Amino acid sequence: MNDTIQSVNPSDDSLLIGGANLHSRLFVGTGKFSSHEIVPQVLEASGSQVVTMALRRVDWKNPQENILNYMPPNTILLPNTSGARTAEEAVRIARLAQAAGCGNWVKIEVVQDQRYLLPDNWETLRATEQLVKEGFVVLPYMSPDLGAARRLQDAGASAIMPLGAPIGSNRGLQTKELIRILIEEISLPIIVDAGIGRPSEAAEAMEMGAAAVLVNTAIATAGDPVFMAQAFRLAVTAGRMGYLAGPGERRIEAAASSPLTGFLQEG
Amino acid sequence: MQIVVNGEAQEIPLECTVFQLLTDNAVTLKAAVVELNGKILKQEHWQSTLLQADDRLEILIFMGGG
Repeated sequence: MNDTIQSVNPSDDSLLIGGANLHSRLFVGTGKFSSHEIVPQVLEASGSQVVTMALRRVDWKNPQENILNYMPPNTILLPNTSGARTAEEAVRIARLAQAAGCGNWVKIEVVQDQRYLLPDNWETLRATEQLVKEGFVVLPYMSPDLGAARRLQDAGASAIMPLGAPIGSNRGLQTKELIRILIEEISLPIIVDAGIGRPSEAAEAMEMGAAAVLVNTAIATAGDPVFMAQAFRLAVTAGRMGYLAGPGERRIEAAASSPLTGFLQEG
Repeated sequence: MQIVVNGEAQEIPLECTVFQLLTDNAVTLKAAVVELNGKILKQEHWQSTLLQADDRLEILIFMGGG
């Protein structure tokens, strides 16, 4: 994507996914908040236009509860398929989410590994192939692997969402080099999902050329989630601007910033 | 009569529709989704669908998630 940088106009730098023109490059997840009541304030502070949630069996003790009651109007809903262990289960959840009236975007998440919650790229690909055929805008969460990303692209995914570190770990861009390769080699938007724990890490991903980041735990578990949502908003904007500006060359040795002539002690 | 709701056996009255079961249990109908015996049951059919003994019903809603 480096070859397209020059043509980007920073004042009109929207991200096109699934027919939507997104001005915010911060996607936000709604899990783990201490209460649903705080969610609207967090979403407003984040400026996010794309928000994830999960489909679950109704809680009979609390049958009125529904995260959709807290979503601002015009938010693009991105239901995930968490809980799916196979492509078939992911497809079932996606269809149910669509039937619930949540539009046609879906984040494929297929996990069998319960310790690190690492996604199964093979099952993810199979679910992507099926759901693209059914007209969904498919955003697959995946382990950053170039071969898998190419296959997801060929299958018709709308973006690729590699993990930075295990879900909820707040450990940052542990897979940085592999994500860098995806950004370089894959023409779809690369959205770093999972693991980002600090605003600086979101900025780093954006500076590398990620199209967007998805953040949940880092905001939800912060001391002040609303303030943290705002911090991520600024970090994503700063990182994106840094990328568009084109960072200068890195060097091993110093290169003086001040002129090396005309010193006072000369002559 | 007995049916299975969200994986658990539940006793319901005869002649009970899906809509009645949801409203009796105070489920928010907005954006709830129902699967009856493995097939999605659209909201427009909730009032006209009578539950049968041994039906397997899933009632799902959206919760916070990442």
